[in-house]
This record gives sequence, C-alpha cells and structure tokens, in this order.
Amino acid sequence: MSTTTLKVTIDQREIEARPGETVLQAARRYGIDIPHFCYHDKLSITGSSRICLVKVNNLPKLQPACNLAVAPDMVVETGNEQVKRAREDVLQFILVNHPVDCGICDKAGECRLQDYQHQYGPAQSISRDPKQHKRKLHELGPRIVLDNERCILCSRCVRFTREISKSDALGIVERGNHSYVEAQTPGQFNDPYSDNVIELCPTGALLSREFMYKCRVWFLQPVRSVCTGCARGCSIKSWRRMNVRQQHMPGAAAGNLAYRTTVFENSAINGPWLCNKGYDQHTWMARARIAQPLIAGKPASVGDALAATGRLLAAAKNPAVLVSTHASNEELDVLQSLLGGVPAYPHRDCVPVEGEVIEDNLLIRADKNPNRRGVVERFGEKPFDTAAGHDLVVVWGEVSGPLPFDGVDWIHLTPFGTPTASPAAIVLPISNTYERHGTFTNFEGKLNVFEPVLEKPAQVQHAADVFRSLAS
Amino acid sequence: MSGPVFMNFPITTTSHSLSEYRARGGYAALAQALREMTPAQVGAQAKASGLQGRGGAGFQTGLKWEFVSKEAPVVYLCCNIDEGEPGTFKDRWILEHSPHQLLEGMLFASYALRVRHAFAYIRGEFDLPLRRLEGALAEARAAGIVGENILGSGFSCDIVVHRGAGAYVCGEESSLINSLEGKKGFPRNKPPFPAVRGLYQRPTVVNNVETLATVPWIMANGAAPYAALGARKTPGTRLFGVSGHVASPGLFEKPTGYPLAQLIYQDAGGVLGGRKLKAVIPGGSSTPILKAAEIEGVTLDQESMGKAGSMVGSGAVIVIAEGTCMVRLLQVLSRFYAHESCGQCTPCREGTDWMNRILERIVAGKGSAADLATLTRLPTGIMGNTVCALGDAASMPVVSFIKKFGDEFAYYVAHGRSLHDGRLAP
Repeated sequence: MSTTTLKVTIDQREIEARPGETVLQAARRYGIDIPHFCYHDKLSITGSSRICLVKVNNLPKLQPACNLAVAPDMVVETGNEQVKRAREDVLQFILVNHPVDCGICDKAGECRLQDYQHQYGPAQSISRDPKQHKRKLHELGPRIVLDNERCILCSRCVRFTREISKSDALGIVERGNHSYVEAQTPGQFNDPYSDNVIELCPTGALLSREFMYKCRVWFLQPVRSVCTGCARGCSIKSWRRMNVRQQHMPGAAAGNLAYRTTVFENSAINGPWLCNKGYDQHTWMARARIAQPLIAGKPASVGDALAATGRLLAAAKNPAVLVSTHASNEELDVLQSLLGGVPAYPHRDCVPVEGEVIEDNLLIRADKNPNRRGVVERFGEKPFDTAAGHDLVVVWGEVSGPLPFDGVDWIHLTPFGTPTASPAAIVLPISNTYERHGTFTNFEGKLNVFEPVLEKPAQVQHAADVFRSLAS
Repeated sequence: MSGPVFMNFPITTTSHSLSEYRARGGYAALAQALREMTPAQVGAQAKASGLQGRGGAGFQTGLKWEFVSKEAPVVYLCCNIDEGEPGTFKDRWILEHSPHQLLEGMLFASYALRVRHAFAYIRGEFDLPLRRLEGALAEARAAGIVGENILGSGFSCDIVVHRGAGAYVCGEESSLINSLEGKKGFPRNKPPFPAVRGLYQRPTVVNNVETLATVPWIMANGAAPYAALGARKTPGTRLFGVSGHVASPGLFEKPTGYPLAQLIYQDAGGVLGGRKLKAVIPGGSSTPILKAAEIEGVTLDQESMGKAGSMVGSGAVIVIAEGTCMVRLLQVLSRFYAHESCGQCTPCREGTDWMNRILERIVAGKGSAADLATLTRLPTGIMGNTVCALGDAASMPVVSFIKKFGDEFAYYVAHGRSLHDGRLAP
C-alpha cells in the first residue's frame, strides 16, 4: 500500500485522500456526508440509486460519488444547487410510488429514506398521480417478509446473498418499474445469514417477522453484548425498552425484555455481519429457566441452598468442577482464585441443535460456546477424568448433552433449564449473559466485552457471588 | 438502390452466399492484409479513413480501437447487432444480404486489435438475420476464413454468435457485455470504459454492424477514397432507413452530407398521399424532433444536424405527415421507453414510467395543465443523472415534442381531446 495521499478539494475544504479511495469514502472520513442508498462498504458498487451524485471539476454531468475514484487536484462540490436539485429529483422519483406509510413501518426512526427525505428532499411532491400498488407482506422466507411498495431496488440484499453469504438466494426479476426482489425459490429464503438483509435494507421493505409490529424503535435502546451462539463471539446490540418508557408498559415483565438483536459492527471479529442465530440471541436468552434454588428437587431459599452446597463440599473427599464455557473471564478469574487445588475441567454447555449450521467460512464455528478459549487458558483443556474417582462434581453451566460421569453426586449452577432436566442434588440458578457484564475470549483469542441488558430475577445469583460465599 | 459500400450488388436468392461474396471481391482484401499488413497498419488505416461509429453516438472508430492497451494479453471484440432503436433497420439489411461483409469487417477489427475470440451479439427478435449470420459463419469456418490459421496467415480468430433475449437496453455496450457474460442486462457505470475493462474484465471493443461492415471497403479501396466520400468532417456513406408517412419507405445508402429533404422527397417518394410534411425524427426515436420548416437545408451529417438541434443517431428517419397527433405519438414513444427501462437506476426506472403514466392520462382526456408542467419538469431530473443513455433517450423526445408542439399539448389538456381527429389532413 502506498503511503502517499492525494490533495482533493471537497466543498472548498482541502482534504488528503488515499489513492484508490472513492470520493464518498474520502468525504466521509472528513465528516462530509454524501447521502447514499445502494453503496455499502462491504458490497460491490452498482451506483444505481443516484442519490450520491456530486459535481466534479465543473463537469456538466454530475458523477456518482460512490463509484468515483479520487484523482489529484479533484474539486468536488456536494451541496451546490445542481447537486441539491438532483437529490431532490431522485427522492421525488423514489417516493412517487412509495406508500410513505412510516406510521406503520417498523423501519421508521432508523430509515435512510426517511432521514434523507427530511434532510435533502423537497417539501412537497409534484406528483398528482395515484400510487402504483405492488405486492405487500410477501413472504420471502420463514423469517423475512418483503414490502415491494417500499422497496427502492438498491439491490443491497441481492448483492449480500451473492457476495457475502454466497447463497445466491435473492435476485431481482422482471424489468424497469415492474422489477422486484424475489427469492430463488419463492418463499424459501433460507440463507443462514438472511437476517442481515433486514439491516442492509435502507428502507422498510425487508422486515423481520419476529420483530414485526412489536415496538417502535425509538422506545428501544441498544446495549452492547456478545452473541453466545458459537466460539466466534460476534458483537451484537441487544435492544431493550428505554427506562423512561418502562412505566407505561403493560405488565411488569415487559420493561425487562429484550426486543430484538442487531449487529454491532466490529471489524476485528464479525465486521458488519451476524448469522441468524445471532439475530435470535434475545429469544435464545428468553428460554425457560429455573426460578428458584432446588434441594433434591424441592424449592428452597438461596441461603439454604448455599448452606447445603457448603456442607456437601466440606464432606466431599475428592470434588471437581466442570467449568462453564459461557462464563465470563472475570467469573473464571474468581473461580480460579478460590479453587485451591480442586481439579477443574472445561464443560461443554451447548451442543449444536438439530438443523443448525455446524460451521462455515464466514462466521459460524463448530464450537457452540463463546468462551471455551478463556476456560482453556485458565484451567487447561483436559477432559473430565473419570478415573480420578471424584465423589462430588460442581457442574457450572447448562447441561445439553450426556454428563461425563455417572452415579456421582453433583451440584448444578445453571442459567437455563427446567427442574426435571436437572436432577442434581442441588440446583442453583445463576445469571445469564444478558444479566451481567464481562468479557469473552473468542476462538482467535480476541477479547469482546458485553454489558448487562436486563435485570436478573431476585432468586438468581451471579456465579461469582456463589463461589465467593461458598469460599467464605 | 445503389451505393458504393453496401448496396453495390443486385440482391438475389443467393447473393448472401460466400461464393457470390467472393465473386464480388470479398475476403480478397483480408487475405492480402493478413499477409502484408501489421495489425497497427490496419488500425491506422481505419483511423485515417475517419470512419465513425454508426450505432448512434458517432464516436471515431479508429480512436476507439486505439484506446485498447497494446500490452493487454486478452482483448475482446463484440459486434453489436442488438438493433433496437425504433425506426432503425439497417443492420438487419446487412445481415440478411451481406453477412460476409460483416464477418470480414470483424476479422479486420480482430486482427487490428489482436482479438482471438470475437462475439456477435444479435437481438433475440432477429430470425432471418440470425439464420443468415449463422449460415455465413458456417461457410466461412468451412472455408478456413474463421477459426484457426485464417487463410494460412497464422492469425486465428473465432466468432461466437450470442442471441439476446429481447431487451432494448442491451444495445448499450456495457449492458451488452453484461448480457454476454450471462448476467442481467444492466448497464455498468463508466469509468471504467469497456476499452479498459469490458467483457470478462478484459479490454473490449464494441462496434456496430454497419461500422464493422464498412471496414472491408476501406481496406480494399484505401482510407483516402473513403475519407473523400460524403461530408468532410464525418466522411463515408451511411444506410438511412426512411419510415413513417412516406410513399416508398426503405433503406437508402447515401453519402453523409446528403440533404434530408432530398432523401424524403426524392428517394422515399415524398410524404404519403402527397400530404404536407409535419415533422421528422431524423435519427431514431430518441433524437429530438425537427419541424417541417427546420429541415430546410439540413444535411445528413453531424455538423449540420447538430446546428438544427438534433442528431443523425442511427440514421433512422421517421417522417410524420400533417394531421398526426403529436401527443399520441409521444405517448407511443414514451410507452416504449418505460417498457424498456432496465430498472437499475432510480431516475430512469421511476421517471420513464411516470412520464408514460402522465401521457396516458393526457391521451385519455384526463390531463391538466399541472400534468404538462410536471411532464416538462421530469426530464430535467432524468437527463444526465442516469447510469446509461436510456434516460436521456427517453427524455429528449418529451422535451423536444413539448417545446415544438406545445400548442397541441395545451389544446389536448384543455379540451380533453386531440387537436387532430386521428385522420391525416388532406
């Protein structure tokens, strides 16, 4: 890569552009906003929306900034009368058949078209034509519906399936104003990364069936979190109700609820993409959980359960710990400092569920636990030693496969599960990733941080607190 | 029908065959050039002749060839046989009656550009031209004129025929390339131009049929005699297709600089039924229309036509007689462009359809003065803002029709019916 820069003037401002960069990219680095619909950093350039037209070197014709490479001494104007007029015209053309139904559109509030129309659009349309009606609420696949009236045919979704997920699942069929996006097999848009197109869509054309009509986005606030779906540990935004609105919600639980998951762009780990399992993180986190500690299957108070656990541990001659691979590094550190010679082995909290993509070349990893690397770094990767004669095992984490021991008393610290699925001597419900903060180390050794999204129920303990009280 | 370059033989049932083409002197210049000339000399001769592209834009052919890098390992040639401009039927004539002339031209161009594989992209609606082209290609292959070691010269070139699927926009060179690659016929953004990155990301030259079919004559007779034909700045002869309200419509080979009035009144036998001329669309449906008074003294070359405010385009002269309703005529044209817009970029996709719907409403008698204002406003948002020239092509007729026949449009929206009753004026 050449280190030389080019002098380019954008809106009377001299900037240093990098060779090979486009005008749009250079301008953005200097905080000059050039509106764009079809352009996306990670997708090929089509230059089809024409909203990014700018005036270059006083040429009579406007040029698309997204496809124009910077050249030495280029003079670009992004806000003169001709450019403003062209933007107004493009928005006028896009909106001539757009239903402008922002009031019932899930995208409202984070819609590019809405933003640009407010910022650059004409006050009033010159159209007096009735709107052309197109297919609405068309089922592209089991997860996504398409509103053709809102679609501006920017082809971002199509290019995503061709260039990123490589499923070629979407295409634009027909020609001209009749063209529309369709799945290769209608109704079968089953790409494991399909939900990315919802976020890619600059308008409300592609909608999540799961989130549809659930909540206006301005009542939600994003919290940085990490997907626990696999060892990649993608950064996500978990969207919860804004605190100030909680009081208006019907039902007490509604305020303490994650409504949807979107990607948190993290170039070190997942870039701007996320798989469908990641987009389902909030439903995954809303699985059934044990509400109260159990002693021999009977509900007990937290104090009693902790005391009973302490007694069992004191009586054990050769205890061992299976360490959760969903635990944060901070919790692992607490355990490590308190362990005092008790052998610990990595636990496999989650195994692939039926029908799940095991592994691919984009994001999905075969190991379905986010912090195995953190556990291995602290406790080694030796599997549970059945010959060591352990007489008590503390199983930290969910149990989704057969346990490596049999006929041995065990204590279960679990964020999820049902009482019948957990026949341990003592069951202690612990907090899940949504209820604490910490870090995970992904399979590449990269640290990723997550913050608490929701409040934990009263009877649920943080695992670190359980260890501390057992140690004292 | 006669002319030096194309219409220089009597048409019979066998005049398109290889034997008769050879009897007329065909492929002799190619054999000689392959033996005696370097590719650069062929290119230089094409440039010296001043030959211009005959597809519509009129770009210097020799210059287009020069843009291709001499170092490029692979270069492609595409012959654009997607003749779709309404009113144009010249390439069809060449393919039906003199397909070998095109093949020879393609081989000359391939030799000059060092092309190993040339493509002939033919529009899907062409049937006889396709059969004639494929027949000629089979004959040429059997005779060792196309393929390995052409005429024993050591130069090899294959010609591949690809049939389009019926899209006007595929006549635009970059969408033609996309279509050849098996993609949807969407035009590409320029730059990069095809001469830099075209078919399969290689330097590519896309030339019109008439352009390529002219090359053998230039090579056989020399650049200077060709440059001496017709108008000085834009030399040569062209095939002009005259259609519409004329007594004897047809295709005429005329030197450039030929008077438009003479073409209509003398060659095409004047306006149908001896009526008065109302207007002429001089170069295919997307060129601005000229009123009868405006064609006085206009000659068929870019300079003169440019002064008159229009273009020679593809050489398709559409003659319109007095009594024709211009509003309805514009709606027909506008429907064509709305139908043919590929839908890739916003202004053309939405704009052509919007203009068409407004015109439909006006023609149905439900238009208003506001509609007319919108119709005047819309082309300004399309022209120059689209990926390819289809947006411009769709807008130019709208602009020129309203400018020149505004009174008819005003009458139509005011009275809800046409100024003309649908019959041609006596």
